[in-house]
Amino acid sequence: MAEALILDAEAVNALAYPSERRVLAARAAAILRLAYDRRALVRVPAPVLAEVCRGVRYDSAINHLLNNPGVGVLELTRSIAQQAGHMLARLKLSSSHAVDAFVVATALQFETAVVATGDPDDIRRLAAPFPRIGILAL
Amino acid sequence: MSQPAAKLSVSVPGELAAAVRKRVGTRGLSGFVARAMAHELEREGIGVLLGELEQKLGPPSKAEMARARKAWPKR
Repeated sequence: MAEALILDAEAVNALAYPSERRVLAARAAAILRLAYDRRALVRVPAPVLAEVCRGVRYDSAINHLLNNPGVGVLELTRSIAQQAGHMLARLKLSSSHAVDAFVVATALQFETAVVATGDPDDIRRLAAPFPRIGILAL
Repeated sequence: MSQPAAKLSVSVPGELAAAVRKRVGTRGLSGFVARAMAHELEREGIGVLLGELEQKLGPPSKAEMARARKAWPKR
């Protein structure tokens, strides 16, 4: 299975609005460059879209990013959702952390993955048992 | 639902064709080529995105690249 860069909500926003989020976008661009050099896949877990899409009038920059053939949206499958539920249960976290758990469970579908995130603490807790997942805090 | 397949006729260097056939066999050739084509299209897309970002932000700094490398887990 391939390597992947997984984009969390903050990473998607940073790449969609680089002029407005210059510092975060520069960090996201660096990990994107590394993913390109390593021939890794770039993926957005579908539940992340619920955090970044805010209406047809506001989504054009997000859609521009998602329409790029290199940025794939990974569907939420039964298996990923169940794995996410198990992670939340292990850490006694409520479903308010569900999207973070979906992101980590999606990363686990790959041989190795880096999650680019603006929420490193929660993602780190969820990914702690899995050394093949790296975290890049934006 | 899978999409209908399109037949393509392409020419590649003989050594490359032999290496791929040895790796995947004749029956696995279509899948292998389809994956390679999809991957190349994805890479081109990321190349375009990196170009757009570089226009707005400049190239990634050495410090940001080092930070990114540190985040990537070992295989």
